Amino acid sequence: MRTWRTVARRGSSLGKRRISRRRFLAGTAATAAAAIVPRRVLGGPGNAPPSETFAVGLVGCGGQGGEDVRNYIGGAGGHYKIIACCDVDKNRLAQAVKKFGPGAEGYTDFRRLIERSDLDVVSVATPPHWHAVITIAAMQAGKDVLCEKPMTKFIAEGRAVVKAGERYGRVFQIGTSGRFGAHKSSRSRLIHKIMRSGLLRDCPGVWIKRGGFHIKRYCGQVNQVPQPVPAHLDWDTYCGPARLAPYHPHRFGWSHRYYWDYEGQGLADFAQHYLDPIQWVYGKDDTSPVEVEAYAPPAHPEAAGMWGWVELKYADGLTFVLDGGEWGKPYDRKEARHVELEDLDEESRKKVEAMPEPEPPRTFVEAVRTRKRSAGHAEAAHRAATVLHLANIAIRCGRKIRYDPVAEQVIGDEFANRLVNQPMRAPWHL
Amino acid sequence: MAAPAKLKSLVDRMPDPDKRGTYANIDKEEVEKAVADIHKGGRDALLALIDMLVEPGQGNDIKPHYALHVLAVHVCRLKDGAPRAEFARTVASQLAGRPKGVQRFLIRQLQVAGGVEVAPALGKALLDPHLCEPAARALVAIREGAADGLRGALPKVKGACRLAIIQALGALADTKAVGTFRKAVDDGDPRIRLAAAWGLARVADADSAGTLLKAADSHKGWERIRYTEACFLLAENLMAAGNRAAATGIYTHLRDTRTKPSEGHVRNAAAGALAAAK
Repeated sequence: MRTWRTVARRGSSLGKRRISRRRFLAGTAATAAAAIVPRRVLGGPGNAPPSETFAVGLVGCGGQGGEDVRNYIGGAGGHYKIIACCDVDKNRLAQAVKKFGPGAEGYTDFRRLIERSDLDVVSVATPPHWHAVITIAAMQAGKDVLCEKPMTKFIAEGRAVVKAGERYGRVFQIGTSGRFGAHKSSRSRLIHKIMRSGLLRDCPGVWIKRGGFHIKRYCGQVNQVPQPVPAHLDWDTYCGPARLAPYHPHRFGWSHRYYWDYEGQGLADFAQHYLDPIQWVYGKDDTSPVEVEAYAPPAHPEAAGMWGWVELKYADGLTFVLDGGEWGKPYDRKEARHVELEDLDEESRKKVEAMPEPEPPRTFVEAVRTRKRSAGHAEAAHRAATVLHLANIAIRCGRKIRYDPVAEQVIGDEFANRLVNQPMRAPWHL
Repeated sequence: MAAPAKLKSLVDRMPDPDKRGTYANIDKEEVEKAVADIHKGGRDALLALIDMLVEPGQGNDIKPHYALHVLAVHVCRLKDGAPRAEFARTVASQLAGRPKGVQRFLIRQLQVAGGVEVAPALGKALLDPHLCEPAARALVAIREGAADGLRGALPKVKGACRLAIIQALGALADTKAVGTFRKAVDDGDPRIRLAAAWGLARVADADSAGTLLKAADSHKGWERIRYTEACFLLAENLMAAGNRAAATGIYTHLRDTRTKPSEGHVRNAAAGALAAAK
């Protein structure tokens, strides 16, 4: 069985695999335009897709720049052409313009890219503190969006992205795809049906993710001495909605992950991958945990550091545990446990068995074509990101927190709540 | 002021960075106990701790820097709010006369643990070009008592500070700032114009509907996109406030004027909102 990522790797930069392309076109109506014509220009009501090729603008040309485009368009049999790219590092931008070939225009200001009316899709591959602002702006400009994980830097950003997508009817896909695999598992589909049936009153399920967070490796430096900003880098724009911190090379590039200003350590960098499928399996795409407790040493104000484990409970009793396994004692409060048909009474079992199979996850290409939600849609991605943000809030606050998944606020703790919706540096706001 | 020996010994119990410069091996109990003991030292210990802070790059304050933040989080954990307020008042009293980098760090600790008691001190910090931006954000986080200070400082500042304050007033949806927003929406700086438009939308100022629609209609590119969003936000807030007529007026205008294919999403959004408003 080919994995999603394997498929993606096999696609060329223009996604010209014939078999996938035929599959992509199957069931569509006329497919006339061969040139790169923005889909919406020729599209009728609902932006039906007469053009075959997605015109893509890429914001963030670092390590992940272009990955989502390859995976979620090329990997799903779609054609694409990157015609605009943007980066605050002029050196990196020059490399990207060269890489994407003739017709790819470079920008250092993402607003100029967003303004272009000939883009169908904006792929956001900046550090996470920029994800929401750029995603929302792209949606306001009528673009569909591919966004790297983690979706956001803090919780309120996710809700704002969901609202923008709803208002402007835009398709969003997060840069993780585990739920495609989860859907192929009959056991996962059964758990999904049990959970979505609403027949399980007190959920005994416990999902524990042990390791895989690279915590020690992702610790930030606490002894940095500010350095001059390189001439090729627009540091102020890089910081963007985050505070204008003194420049240090470790804060830029891949290691931005180690600092609270931009991301949230290995937990933020990896957890969305782990949570995306399991959140679907357990039917939690539209809600969040209500209690969060972390076992961790006091956090540093700027540099993300060590943590032991985080326990997150949902209102129905389902428990998720993220056990880093690199600091302190391992999590030993509960054993991992699946939800099973036997957790239901006989009548309920029959009802679950009679339920239709869950709808297969929809690729980004199919979602754009049909104007329906993609598998990694904004609400699901926001809820998965909320889990990792709540975990980091509990780590940073050093106390158990209670969360209202409807109001999306920490309950009874004004100070913890300040990390739910963090003020941005002007002129950026949600 | 030299740090008292006892405080110094407590601060020394904070971890040393490892070879990579990280805190990969922290002893939770050791740090928590030492910080609790610093807290027991009261205002004098806190002042001495602040005295140990230096401008970034001008010396080694790794341990007191960490200890002060852990203390800020510690006081927020206490059930009694009085120690937190006392901590915040003491930190706020030290904003003046220190290196700017230290002042900015102190303001960030007030964003963590400050309340209404530090709003006046942060209001003064708004007047300092080096501090106004973090001070404005701290005030937004604190919320209570913030708007008065922001409004009071606005006539005395310009440039980036003015932008930070107008945006902060918008974030707080300060209804008393409507006049400020209305004036600023004609500013020469596009960033201020857009921040003011956002503020008018946030406070659901019905009288500004025409202004925002005109701004959205007359601009191109980024400003058109952002003014249009401000129009939608205004309409949404007017609807929530019960002013259906004003809201549907905005939606109707957007539906009828966005005729280009490249703005089909705006037209559709407005049409959808109109249908939902019926």
